[in-house]
Amino acid sequence: MIRPGRLGLGGVVIAGALALSGAGLLRGHAGASPARAQGLPPARLPAPPPSGVMGFVVENFVPTIVPGMDSCPHGTAPRLREEYLRTLTADEAARLRRKENEKELTNLWHAYAFGAGGTNICSQPDRFQHALFPPVESKFAYGLDLDGDASGGGGKDGCAHGKFVSPDGLSGIDNQEYRAMGCELELRGNDGSGGDSLTGMKQFHTSGEWTQVILLKNVHSLVKDDDVEVIYANTADRPEIDNKGNFLRGLSFTVADKGARHRNVLKGHIRDGVLTTDPADIRLAETWGQGGARDIRGNRTQYHYLKGRLRLAFEPDGSLRGLVGGYRPLFDVIVSTSLGGAGSALVAGIDCSAQLAGLRKYADGARDPRTGQCTAISSAMRIEAVPAFINDLPTSTETALK
Amino acid sequence: MTRSGLLPRGLVALGAGAVLVAALSAHGAAGAGGDVASTAARFAGPRITGLRRLTEAQYRNTIADIFGPDIRVAGRFEPIVRPVHELIASGARDSSVSPSGLEQLDAIGRGVAAQVFDDKHRALFLPCQPHDEAAPDESCARAALLPLGRYLFRRPLTDAEGNGYVAMAGAAARTAHSFDKGLELGLAAMLESPQFLYIVETAQPDPQHPGVLVLDDYSRASRLSYTLWNTTPDAALLASAASGRLHDPAVLAATAAKMVKSPRFEDGIRAFFADMLLFERFDSLSKDPIIFPYFNSEVAAAMPEQMLRTITDHLLTRDGDYRQLFLTGHTFMTRALGGLYQVPVHKDKGWEPYQFAPGADRAGLLGQAGFLAIYSQTGRSSPTLRGRAIRELLLCQPVPNPPGNVNFTAVQDVKNRAMPTARVRLAAHMTDENCAGCHRLTDPLGLSLERFDGIGGWRTTENGAVIDPAGKLDKQDFSGAEGLGKLLAASPDASQCVASRALEYVRGQPSDDADAMVESLDSHFAASGYRIRALFLDAVTQPQVWEVKEPPLGAPTHLSLLER
Repeated sequence: MIRPGRLGLGGVVIAGALALSGAGLLRGHAGASPARAQGLPPARLPAPPPSGVMGFVVENFVPTIVPGMDSCPHGTAPRLREEYLRTLTADEAARLRRKENEKELTNLWHAYAFGAGGTNICSQPDRFQHALFPPVESKFAYGLDLDGDASGGGGKDGCAHGKFVSPDGLSGIDNQEYRAMGCELELRGNDGSGGDSLTGMKQFHTSGEWTQVILLKNVHSLVKDDDVEVIYANTADRPEIDNKGNFLRGLSFTVADKGARHRNVLKGHIRDGVLTTDPADIRLAETWGQGGARDIRGNRTQYHYLKGRLRLAFEPDGSLRGLVGGYRPLFDVIVSTSLGGAGSALVAGIDCSAQLAGLRKYADGARDPRTGQCTAISSAMRIEAVPAFINDLPTSTETALK
Repeated sequence: MTRSGLLPRGLVALGAGAVLVAALSAHGAAGAGGDVASTAARFAGPRITGLRRLTEAQYRNTIADIFGPDIRVAGRFEPIVRPVHELIASGARDSSVSPSGLEQLDAIGRGVAAQVFDDKHRALFLPCQPHDEAAPDESCARAALLPLGRYLFRRPLTDAEGNGYVAMAGAAARTAHSFDKGLELGLAAMLESPQFLYIVETAQPDPQHPGVLVLDDYSRASRLSYTLWNTTPDAALLASAASGRLHDPAVLAATAAKMVKSPRFEDGIRAFFADMLLFERFDSLSKDPIIFPYFNSEVAAAMPEQMLRTITDHLLTRDGDYRQLFLTGHTFMTRALGGLYQVPVHKDKGWEPYQFAPGADRAGLLGQAGFLAIYSQTGRSSPTLRGRAIRELLLCQPVPNPPGNVNFTAVQDVKNRAMPTARVRLAAHMTDENCAGCHRLTDPLGLSLERFDGIGGWRTTENGAVIDPAGKLDKQDFSGAEGLGKLLAASPDASQCVASRALEYVRGQPSDDADAMVESLDSHFAASGYRIRALFLDAVTQPQVWEVKEPPLGAPTHLSLLER
């Protein structure tokens, strides 16, 4: 049934892309924060479109970091070679560091990546007991208050953990994934401005392999509205980009049930230009580049956010900026490097075993009542979405929330 | 060429191929020029009175119709040069083929011939089995080549032609030890012949009007077919020509009426408007991707197609009033175009109908991205180019070319905040009286379209300044594309212009000397409610359209190998 506020078009609900884009094709970001602590003042908020339908294509979906090296006073997590050397006596480590012993050192630290029965630290990270990396030591992080427990006790089905404060002043932030992984070189980069994970995610996203779209229905006010339907989904349609890599606005995308795509139906609320959604399972397609089934880069996995939710602010230029957060199953966090197997360890020097151990230590969600251990970890990704026309095919509901 | 009575130069070059120019006179000995009456009196049989080179689209359509759509036509065609203020259809009469163009046509023809007689298609075109696959077989070659020749030359082959191509196939079969290779060469020679590459128009004395030459039946069949369907005459049309019935005005009218009702008339209308609106500009359309990120190869390909779909949908599918073409909100979209127009598109592939909302100012053709893009510069819009296109193409009012020493500095300085809009910049440019005369004709029209950028994207400001879409057509003020569309729809010049172009398209020569015919056509066009089918039906059934006012071609300067 087509409710008031929807634009029914032959069984298809299509979102008016530019309904809010009073600034037309203008680009730009209102500050560095991925999510506003406060929404825009009502005077600066545009009126919602008469149809009540708004569409967006997600332009950026990247891990959040608070830039700088203050969070990681010990530097970034060591590469596997350095980790191995730390297991040795100082004299032996010094001997192996000498140039003439480089080959011997290489053989040894490569061997450190393997275990009995041909296992390796990335394909079977749970079979190894390597030292944890230093966590993020700052109290600042971006994210959402997922458990509503300001004490850090973890709520009824979580585990005790430290709370962060967001740089723009929101307290009670849960982002233990950031705590565990925030000093990884891939995330933080050499100078703290962000590593390959950030640029790589942008490239993956731009490739259109798993384009995300957001469709808002039943929007009557951007100041106060408690009954907004939010479709957060993947589409097989690729975005078009300009010569700077920005997504073009006002293109059409279709949410279909073809392939490993997902369509999450969420209940949203709007307060003063900020949209939040009630907790729900959110699943989104995740691929690692383009490739065949035998190629790691073609592997399809998924982002799975338990008790996931969105917090997105409406921007004056018509875009949405904010976060998706929730609890991720621990292994999901390192699935990419794990799929890389020994290559991740030997080529990139990543210690998946240490990563998994860190994730286990800081896990704060989905506590197993039997073991008392938490099996998921709080997480957040930064989202930036630009206006688009979204064709929401009803048949897609078959894939929703699977 | 026909106006001068001389052979096109290219035909001499074509003579280097298998068939030489003398083949053109196969219907009889060509005579010297002279006035129509004396010419008619001097010659009793049909005479060559004109040659119209096939356009690339006509070539491709012809090959597809004769041999099937799966036969690939691979190669680059030398374009037909458009005479100033005329149609390519007129330019085709004066179009020669350069040596390199001939090489291309040779390669294309050989490619087609090879496919026709390959294992996949051979059985379709070979009605007999040769006695020996590795040797010539004259009767089988004749059975294969002559029917094809009739379709390719749009008339039966003369004995000399038939014997020549059969002999050529035999010689090649002997050399190559392959009957099929012989056929290939014979067919390739036909495809390279001026009889195929040019629509050869022949005339004969009009028995009803002594002293007047009129096109003969086969020429009528070709003209009807290439005008109305943009392709070669089909079997029925050739049969009508063979029976001599196309001379009968009633049969001609009935035949033409059937043709304009056929779905294939869409091909003719597409070709006509592509010619009238200078679609060759799309071939070299380029835009600065930094300035226009929505422009890409998909959009470039979709622009002309959108215009043609809009035209044919309005004029044929809806049988609409031509004048409403400047106002219709109906069009078609692809995903790529949807981004440019900033409108939703449901289908992820292909086209879907779209109707602009009232007040969108996307009125008819003038609001279409294709029209706006080809009459713009690479990095900016151009009120002058747009205004000139409207004057010349839609109103048939030629605008002189700019002088060679124009200072364009003010117009090109698009980032100058002191002159933020094109209106301001052009006003500065028009302080030069040398320029002002023509700009007064063009700019007041083009400025009304300034809310469309250089690729037809919508905008309301330029350099932060609000764009004023006010315009003026002669003494009438209007606003925006819709205002302009309304004035064009009401303008008698616009309907008379398309009537004039239709006549030019049919005859392959400008209508400057045919005021009475144009007025008659326009009058009938109005009476039909400005329906395009009625216009073309009227244009091809006017008796004067078939009259030949010019002297026939001179004597051939080369002999055909086939006649040696």
